[in-house]
Amino acid sequence: MSGIVLQGIRRSFGNTHAVKETDFTFPDGSVTCLLGPSGCGKTTLMRMIAGLERPSAGRILFDGCDVTAWPARRRDVAMVFQYPVMYRTLTVEQNIALALDNARVPRTERRTRIEAVIDVMQLGDCRRLGIDALDIGTRQRVAVARAIARDCAVILFDEPTTNIEMHAKLQLIRAFKQYRSRLRETITPQTVIYVTHDQTEAMTLADRIALMRDGAIAQCADPRTLYDRPDSEFGGWFIGNPGMNFLAGRADAPGRVAFDCLPVSLAAPGGEIDGLRLGVRPERVIVGPAGCGGVPGRVLRRTLTVGGQALLLLEVGQSTMRARMSAGTIFDPGEAVSVHCSPDHIVLFRNGSRLSMSSETIEAA
Amino acid sequence: MSRIAIEGIAKSFGRHRVLDGVTLDIPSGSLTVLCGPPQAGKSVLLRLLVGLETLDAGRITIDGQDLAALTPAQRSIGYVPQSFALLPQMSVFDNIAYPLRMQKSPNDEIRRRVGEAAAVLRIGGLLEKRPDQLSGGEKQRVAIARGMLKQATVFVLDDPLVGLDFKLREALMDDLKDMRVALGATFVYATSDSLEALAMADRLAVLDAGRLIADDGPDQVYHAPPHLRAAELIGFPRCNLVAGRAGGGRCATALGMVRLEGEGEVVLAIRPEQIRFTDVQSGGLHGVGHVALIENLGADSVVHLDVHEIRLVAIPTTESVAGLDVGDEVAFAIDPASLSVFGAASGVRLMQGASS
Repeated sequence: MSGIVLQGIRRSFGNTHAVKETDFTFPDGSVTCLLGPSGCGKTTLMRMIAGLERPSAGRILFDGCDVTAWPARRRDVAMVFQYPVMYRTLTVEQNIALALDNARVPRTERRTRIEAVIDVMQLGDCRRLGIDALDIGTRQRVAVARAIARDCAVILFDEPTTNIEMHAKLQLIRAFKQYRSRLRETITPQTVIYVTHDQTEAMTLADRIALMRDGAIAQCADPRTLYDRPDSEFGGWFIGNPGMNFLAGRADAPGRVAFDCLPVSLAAPGGEIDGLRLGVRPERVIVGPAGCGGVPGRVLRRTLTVGGQALLLLEVGQSTMRARMSAGTIFDPGEAVSVHCSPDHIVLFRNGSRLSMSSETIEAA
Repeated sequence: MSRIAIEGIAKSFGRHRVLDGVTLDIPSGSLTVLCGPPQAGKSVLLRLLVGLETLDAGRITIDGQDLAALTPAQRSIGYVPQSFALLPQMSVFDNIAYPLRMQKSPNDEIRRRVGEAAAVLRIGGLLEKRPDQLSGGEKQRVAIARGMLKQATVFVLDDPLVGLDFKLREALMDDLKDMRVALGATFVYATSDSLEALAMADRLAVLDAGRLIADDGPDQVYHAPPHLRAAELIGFPRCNLVAGRAGGGRCATALGMVRLEGEGEVVLAIRPEQIRFTDVQSGGLHGVGHVALIENLGADSVVHLDVHEIRLVAIPTTESVAGLDVGDEVAFAIDPASLSVFGAASGVRLMQGASS
């Protein structure tokens, strides 16, 4: 078994469990994002892998070898932090060189490695500048360059882009991905674990995302699956910008449940209405002029979002929900509209967990 | 009522000119967002409003009253600074209550208002803790609560959500908007995040290198940016900038020709959503590109296209991105009516919308 394996790992502080008992595998050469809100245990989990924190129970294996008791420096792990420690009196290039010094990289190899990482992280223009002269996004590119130059088996990222604006953030991620795809042509690249609370970042970067909540991994899947088929309301809410709309069900005729965004009621799964909620993504809510079928609604707010799309906040019956409309369509606050949600794009949850049912079942109901 | 008039203000630190003749009218009861890259001068402008810096030139009035005559304490302005200094020896409750105690508010009012602010900012459970027991995000929310408690008609918020959890930011944006409506106050809000600016603003002012380069409703700034840098800074993904040469009523670019009056070097700003994947060419700008990268953002996919020496970033419709892969060839067309054209050297807008 290669890669990183967690066996029954747990971390407790007194009676609180920062990380509950977890079994998990990070395959060799994969990029996994640990995604979740602050306090979900993602950083603690990563720090245990780094050797910065001892688990309260369980084992950590690197390529089959038990490293649980090993200190951080023995683990062949590079880390990129939210606030990287860099030498302000040294230039970009010298900072990278120093990391190689410390890692005892042979002198003959240093030059090639430095050139390679400066090229791939697009630092050519600022290689001779001091760290203070750089904006925070560029500074983090230096931190990433330094980490990859060391050529460790594992790279861990702890929210490295928290304070960086979106454009610079994606620039960093693109550079890192490009570096990985170049490596992949010849060797198996490093195993990467990337901790973030930003779902856009996780979606663009990861092969798979482990979504964490309350010290446990709630769902682990590739980004597309996690977006389209969240196991829980939590997943539907957390992933998405903004997240899924949720509407509470109301009892209609016996055994039937009504939702504010649907013109007809549905047969409640198992005849049971309690705890039922409907989920629908904002881009799947279709808004048209008033009187065009669907259900009537009213626009409360309109703002612009990604790609010039309009994000509408709607009042529909007793509920409020959001809709994303392509650029150019304009409905103003106060305007009456019609709202449509296709059965293909709605998901039903009971007590927070997704009910697996096909759109045909929903339609037939 | 509290209309803020900023008239030709300037500020330098040593030889570095941070604000260079900024004139801006902030309507009473508006949520005006100052957006710009780091170092654009946003924080300094806010500090001048609050009274933590003094003007080199120009003046600022609120409802006609010159602020120069007022000390910071006399100004009816609540302030949420970018670097929040909490008092370490005091509890969270006392930190938030501090401005109310300074105003000598009665105890039951203090308890009520601190409780309300803490509930909105989701820190109700932290009131007994000390600042060193809080995470960065929690400290930030305490600082916001404290800034919002002053009895004031103007609130100045300096990048209040930076570094906070993504979902928390989403929720707090709504809460801050509701808070503004409830208070009936004027908000001046700085951020370097253009999506946050578009989501928050009912008026959007763009600052770049100490100058005001746009000031209008967010829709207008987005769809008809008055300056090249405003086009570049506002919008995500960033708009594509394509060089062109105008002359003889036409403008030649690497993507084709458009009609354009005037002479000289120009820059065309093309929004990612204006690049349509289609074989149908209605003249104007079009071409064939190779897909270099596809980024899946969940609701949208961002497609990077290499066309000749140009890298274009597009947000195609869901249907046209289905089945698309890196390396594929894609034909695209751009409706010239959606273009903004700027002078390459001046950055000034020459034309909004062209024809083929």
